[in-house]
Amino acid sequence: MSVTNLLENWSQFRHFHPVDDKPHDPYKWAMSIDLDACTGCNACSVACYAENNIPVVGKERFSHGQQMHWIRIERYWDEDQNAVGGRDFPDQGAQFLPMMCQQCEAAPCETVCPVAATNHTSDGLNSQVYNRCIGSRYCSANCPFKVRYFNWYDYPSDDAWPAEMSQQLNPDVTVRGKGVMEKCTFCIQRVNEAKVKAKSEGRLVRDGEIQTACQQVCPTSAISFGNLVDTESRVHKQWEAQKVELDKDKQEKDEQEGGSKLRGYRILEELRPYPSVMYLERVRESAV
Amino acid sequence: MYRFIRFSTLLVGLFIAIQGYAAEAPLTTADDLGPAVEQPIEFPHNRHAGKHDPSDPSKGGMEIDCQYCHTYARRSSIAGIPPLQKCVGCHNNIESVKDKPRIKKLFEAWEAKKPIQWKKVHDLPDFVRFNHERHIKRFVEQQGHTSQEACGYCHGDVKNMTVARRQKSLSMGWCASCHEKAHTVAASGVDVGKQAYWYTFQKPATTAKVPEDIKAKGPNDCWQCHK
Repeated sequence: MSVTNLLENWSQFRHFHPVDDKPHDPYKWAMSIDLDACTGCNACSVACYAENNIPVVGKERFSHGQQMHWIRIERYWDEDQNAVGGRDFPDQGAQFLPMMCQQCEAAPCETVCPVAATNHTSDGLNSQVYNRCIGSRYCSANCPFKVRYFNWYDYPSDDAWPAEMSQQLNPDVTVRGKGVMEKCTFCIQRVNEAKVKAKSEGRLVRDGEIQTACQQVCPTSAISFGNLVDTESRVHKQWEAQKVELDKDKQEKDEQEGGSKLRGYRILEELRPYPSVMYLERVRESAV
Repeated sequence: MYRFIRFSTLLVGLFIAIQGYAAEAPLTTADDLGPAVEQPIEFPHNRHAGKHDPSDPSKGGMEIDCQYCHTYARRSSIAGIPPLQKCVGCHNNIESVKDKPRIKKLFEAWEAKKPIQWKKVHDLPDFVRFNHERHIKRFVEQQGHTSQEACGYCHGDVKNMTVARRQKSLSMGWCASCHEKAHTVAASGVDVGKQAYWYTFQKPATTAKVPEDIKAKGPNDCWQCHK
């Protein structure tokens, strides 16, 4: 980037995502996750490991907080907790929430990276460039969702994929080395493949053409992924039906008296990261 | 005071020099020349793709289109290497060169049913996502450049080489030096569909009167090329 370019396009570089930004055109990748459908089976997590060459760290490192799962199932136990003699893990009352990188529009991780290894794409994704990362782990510290994972060890040479296992690594995804940060990419390799195909055929990516690995394996189809700009897409319709808007830090529907009956919400919206993942509240009392 | 002025002049001078350098493109220097790669058969690119010499047809090239042999370039992200069958398909019918040592070697491999172990000359790092198809579609099919010209943007002057050698640096800065330029997006008024060329923050000005004036830059998202 030359200085002239920077000066000429200053207003474009100096913008506040996504409020006074130009609308995303033609793509804005987003997700919606139906918690009522989620059974906490962890298939998404397993699929993610397989798709994105994530190392399995083992019990000991996991207990040190060095786990690498890009998508994790968070468990919440909401009954029996406060009752006298209540158990920590009762038979009833488990709720699950798949948590992955929320691909924030105004991502807190981006602003603190000292080397700009993580920055925003025009598709509204939060990119992570491993070559650039120097491992300051500042982004992880600033992430309100705690979805960034650090390579504490050199897993390829550390036998994370013993012998033949290394043959099943996905060639479209980098095998990360020691000392770099990584996180969910919304399966960018699949997104790019579909984009290239669509472009060569002179059209835009159709809804449903891209499936993320977690979405693909979800037995209850709790996860949907698509282009938020496309008014015909499933994700767009869901967001619209739930009256969740991308560029709001407080949704209008929640301002109403007595709150809203709609289930859609985004996590930690009030911090103004403008996440791209909408969750649909659980209606059933518990999953188990 | 005098020292201060001298120092600031130096700074300003440096700034201007750096800016001038940064605006210069594409970045190609003599240092970009890759190592000589020894191939199992010394393939003469100049004889196949070079310019035809009407006065002495036995000397000049055949002007074969790059994509005749490198056929996967327009179909997939990876250009691939033509199979031995492709070579034999033509050379089976060219009696005049069948006794040449290189062609003999070719047919030996063919009889033995062993592929020729060509060595890779243009090897991008594993973390790079490069797509041949998109570049061919855009420069050859949409904008009508010849294969030799379009392929030459990255592969250099292959038609005058024997064994291909890397001429461009293929570094990130070198790729970006082209992606940063404003290119015409709709070639010769042909509507290229709803294709969004502006995968960047700089969208083209759509107010242009002539379609040729619509210009946009190449993709510049990190994730476009970084896996």
